[in-house]
Amino acid sequence: MGVKDFKSEVDFTVRIGGEGGDGVISCGELFAQAVARTDYHVFTYISYPAEIRGGFSMIQIRTRDWTIYSMGSQVNYLVVFNQEAYDRTIGDIKKGGTVVYDPDTVEIKPNADVNFYPVQLTKIASEVTGGKLGKNVVALGALGQLFNLDQRFLEKLMQDRYGAKGDDVVAMNIKALQAGYEAGAANQWEKKFSLDTKSDTKHKYMMLSGNEAVALGTIAAGCRFVAGYPITPATPIFETLTKIMPMVGGRAIQLEDEIASISACIGASFAGEKAITPTSGPGLQLMGEQLNLAAMSELPMVIVDVQRGGPSTGLPTKTEQSDLKFAIYGTSGEVPRCIIAPTTVEDCFYQTIRAFNIAEALQMPVTILTDQSIGYRKATVRIPSFEGIHEIAEGLDIKRVTIPSANRIDIINRQEPTEEELKDYHRFRYTDSGVSPLSRPGTPNGQYLATGLEHTEKGVANYTPEVHLNMTKKRFKKLETLSKALEANPPEYYGSRDSNIGVIGWGSTEGAIREARYMAEAAGINVRHLHPKVISPLPEKQIRRFLAGLKQVIIVEENFTGQFAHFIKAKFGIRPIEVHKCEGEPISPQEIYASIVKVARIVDEENITRL
Amino acid sequence: MKRTLQDYSSGIKPVWCPGCGDYGVLRGLQQAMMELEIVPEDAITISGIGCSGRFSHYMNTYNLHGTHGRAVPTALGAKAARPDLNVVCVGGDGDGLGIGGGHIAHAARKNVDMTYILIDNRIYGLTKGQTSPTTPLERKTKTAPYGSYEEPLNAIPMFLTYGVSFIARTSPVMMGQMTEILKQAISHKGFSLVYVMSPCVTFPVVTYKSLKDILSPLPEDYDPTNRMKALELAYSEETLYTGVFYNVDKPTLEDNLQNLVRKACTRKKGEHFTVEQMLQSYA
Repeated sequence: MGVKDFKSEVDFTVRIGGEGGDGVISCGELFAQAVARTDYHVFTYISYPAEIRGGFSMIQIRTRDWTIYSMGSQVNYLVVFNQEAYDRTIGDIKKGGTVVYDPDTVEIKPNADVNFYPVQLTKIASEVTGGKLGKNVVALGALGQLFNLDQRFLEKLMQDRYGAKGDDVVAMNIKALQAGYEAGAANQWEKKFSLDTKSDTKHKYMMLSGNEAVALGTIAAGCRFVAGYPITPATPIFETLTKIMPMVGGRAIQLEDEIASISACIGASFAGEKAITPTSGPGLQLMGEQLNLAAMSELPMVIVDVQRGGPSTGLPTKTEQSDLKFAIYGTSGEVPRCIIAPTTVEDCFYQTIRAFNIAEALQMPVTILTDQSIGYRKATVRIPSFEGIHEIAEGLDIKRVTIPSANRIDIINRQEPTEEELKDYHRFRYTDSGVSPLSRPGTPNGQYLATGLEHTEKGVANYTPEVHLNMTKKRFKKLETLSKALEANPPEYYGSRDSNIGVIGWGSTEGAIREARYMAEAAGINVRHLHPKVISPLPEKQIRRFLAGLKQVIIVEENFTGQFAHFIKAKFGIRPIEVHKCEGEPISPQEIYASIVKVARIVDEENITRL
Repeated sequence: MKRTLQDYSSGIKPVWCPGCGDYGVLRGLQQAMMELEIVPEDAITISGIGCSGRFSHYMNTYNLHGTHGRAVPTALGAKAARPDLNVVCVGGDGDGLGIGGGHIAHAARKNVDMTYILIDNRIYGLTKGQTSPTTPLERKTKTAPYGSYEEPLNAIPMFLTYGVSFIARTSPVMMGQMTEILKQAISHKGFSLVYVMSPCVTFPVVTYKSLKDILSPLPEDYDPTNRMKALELAYSEETLYTGVFYNVDKPTLEDNLQNLVRKACTRKKGEHFTVEQMLQSYA
């Protein structure tokens, strides 16, 4: 843990603001992508106007030489295209910060704490392109010059980005870029950070949104089938998959609704293929009955719920963590459910691979719960080492399967019956782990019936008391097997052992809680932070170890009723202090820190009373 | 290898009432598959809920007994994922015209290469006699104790409008014709829908006798590519025509998905991108 994690040599934030349609976002994205190619970490936050064109629009890019957990709160560099952007953001600039502005469109109020540099973005762009377009690329050039990015390197990026639009477009953009570099050099500005460029053509980092990370994790996991129906904010996962699935020889189909989508996944999984369907809360709700069928017939598949503000149509473009109870408990009858909640954009990539592994290993649907804030956030994701990928087609020992990471990825494929087992095939044979081999259509003597009716080991419908009890035990045994395997993983908690206060969170709040912990530690309050990624089943022993010795536990989540807190209270019998945020916005480190400070006072008072 | 009917049967004794039309359809399907020399393990049978839902229990193919109304999209997913397999889907008038009716239009638009056997007995039999979407007007049922108050659905004109590429009507009261139609339907490249009028002996809205009285083969000179003529004859209610109403060739879902792969890989001359190349493209 610790200090290294907190302090960083390179850590700065650039914000670019202007009118929607100025190309502000693409300027920022290109800059972020360029930085990612220099092997620094990047984290972006975008605020779009509600209108397609017009309105204030901004992008913020944090750059660091170490993992970035949140957006942070202050801006070091500000690039403003118009007056509104200047007026609305100048208050966020850090002391000693730098403002780049267009003197023809922005009137500044000089201030000794901030360095102001004029660059005539609009004028330069019109000289180069003969029109209004291109000022964002001029600004990109100026930024490139400011951070010592090799110009040829940005030219390559232009080629990659605009190559498909033709050589003329690329040439025009390169001219605008060049003009931006020249204007930047004329400023003779103070350079604090230099982003060295590696000439290596193989890049170490992808620049992805959480949604794109899920889509790419899907193909990396070996899945070649997606069925879906558009729903905000999960649509970008499906859009990305409809584009890339055919490129890797896979199949992407849009269906008439969410019920049909998950049905198609059940069909595909039954037919022997890995399958995924991305959705958001209302869609997950529609899928409920089919999720149950998948669990009952023990078919692997992955469902992604990019949570949005609820209930009902709710706040489709906002964030919330309020589908947890439905994901864990929302069934008729009782079936085991596995829920995974990635914590960062990078985690979206690796946990998606893990979701497929768990689905195949335990033959059950696995639900990934992300949310709008993580789905639309962009950050660097380390490209895995392809030498570190191992496919496990047979002889699976789930305890030995590692959690996917950039260094090593185990990919679990379908565990099919052996020839010996096929001589008298029992699809749902009782086993110690609860998992029984699953045959793939086309395999002789592997025929069986998968049914939502209660059934025997052979798959024959049967409603006797002993069969229902034993089959229920078998299905839940798989959850126990998984829970035991999770115990073997490294503990998912951070912070000093010597803490009285624990904070528990799940999903996308990890970064905010982590930063709140750093703030608390800086103020002399030790805090232990638990953030399980597999939410159901939980690694119970690990959690008991985490809880041991804590005087107060704070559970942080973005919903109204405290869904994870209910789950934790029921399982571990603790009485936590619950911090909820239900405003459609992510919770900030400051808000969590404020709660920690309050709780620290309670703990202090308790100590005094005891003395 | 010469297979027998046994090779297509799971050996489990059906739960259907003695005399149920489903026995005939099951036998017809097994006969058709045998005559087409389909390898049992290369076939999938998917059914929904209702008496017909039990179909998947009695076949010796890979079988999936799904949920009410969702058999068609489930089967569609299986075929899209594994175009090498033969996929047959079975449902009743509740499954296919009530709860799951909305899915058929889209399976038709996609023209997925599978056979959907829709068995209509105009009553909910498994749950013991409630109104179905095809129960005749004024007919008393458990949920219409004063007589049904809504018009029954005439589904074949609807399927013609959807653009289902193969539509036939038949019945187990004419086993020879039914088996022949099932063979044609399975061999058809695209979405084939076999509408089976089937008697229920326990809740006899449709009986063997009533079917024999009303069913009649399509005229000998009938042209199954003429959609307007098909519509005209499909609307006939005094005589329910049997035979192949409509049969045209269209690109299938599997062909179209394969084309997408080709289009997506033109830059690599048809060779697929590797995962590593895909990830690098986002760097």
